[in-house]
Amino acid sequence: MIDRKLVIFLGGWLAFAALGARAADKMTWDKLPDWSGMWTMEGRVIFDGSGKDPHREFPPLRPEYEAKYQKVVQDAINNIEFDPLTHCLPAGFPRVLGEPFLQEFVIRPEQVWWIHEQQNEIRRIYTDGRKHPPADELYPLWEGHSIGHWEGDTLVVDTVSLREGIYDRTGAIHSDKAHVTERIRKINADTIEDQIVVEDPVTLTKPWHVTKRYKKLKDPSLRIDHWACEEDNRAVFKDGSTDIVLPTESRYKDPSKPDEEQKK
Amino acid sequence: MMTFRRAALLAAAFVLSTQAFAHHSFAMFDRNKEVTIKGTVKAFNYTNPHSWLDILVTDEKGGTKEWSFEMEGPSSLMRSGIKPGSLKPGEKITVKAWPLRDGRPAGAAISITKEDGTVLDPRKGLRPPTT
Repeated sequence: MIDRKLVIFLGGWLAFAALGARAADKMTWDKLPDWSGMWTMEGRVIFDGSGKDPHREFPPLRPEYEAKYQKVVQDAINNIEFDPLTHCLPAGFPRVLGEPFLQEFVIRPEQVWWIHEQQNEIRRIYTDGRKHPPADELYPLWEGHSIGHWEGDTLVVDTVSLREGIYDRTGAIHSDKAHVTERIRKINADTIEDQIVVEDPVTLTKPWHVTKRYKKLKDPSLRIDHWACEEDNRAVFKDGSTDIVLPTESRYKDPSKPDEEQKK
Repeated sequence: MMTFRRAALLAAAFVLSTQAFAHHSFAMFDRNKEVTIKGTVKAFNYTNPHSWLDILVTDEKGGTKEWSFEMEGPSSLMRSGIKPGSLKPGEKITVKAWPLRDGRPAGAAISITKEDGTVLDPRKGLRPPTT
């Protein structure tokens, strides 16, 4: 007669092994999902566009960061707005998840590239089993360091080593200690869904759960080209806000003569 | 009842969250005002982060003044059906725009009407799908 305890032990071990396999399915070329095509974010250009109240879509901020957020909103009422994007800095991660421009996925068994048109931002997600670099090699990165694994057709991503940044133009800040996990899956032929959890012990009082969706664009003429942000960027910083330089003004740089004009 | 302060904060946050189709802050443009300017295309720069349409406007005295209108970058204009050759130097057009607050001759383009009556909507392609 089989020992009852042994059965329980073996059963438990098999369940554990199955879970373990589930936690990291080995991706091979023949199993790669088809995420081809050109994609764009669905909904409003805000990190969490799920609710009706754009003022309060994030969990309570710690007081210091709540005050900074309120300052941005107050400034906006007074037409004072500053956004690093204006000055050709990248959106960075996780803000880039809420940007509206063209996006593309390149999937290989050992790596996924999530390519954003804006500022040529590329998120590299390593799915070859590597870990994050050791602590003494981590430093703030625009896209962070992302490792991932596949659970069936779901890409599970873990990102650390971020720069301090804003989630969107409303100015709510995340710290460089933010840790972001994502479950990314194509839920139908035209939709990729990203279930995001941001944990940030510095700025947030509890984890922030956000779901974003990306729609496939049908127009075959669309493609991602190099985004040379400084080529004809007429937006300039003035009095804490944003202004425009006109072609008749001395600070203007004519994009048809880039080599000469950049010396201005 | 919502206080005025709360309503104002909500409105500001809403503006911040919806205007951001533009690559940069929109603070310098007055979206409560519209101008309609007729002129001749001088240049149409199909560039990132924004395209720019520069036109020459003749006044009653025969002098010319240059106006500049901001539009979205190439891929967003392509999504709106506006191609690099859609606006050619020398062509006469009418531009409706949100002007700069400080009165200088520039704005964010709302629509462009060509001589044959065709209307171009440069913001059409920006609207992300909602379904």
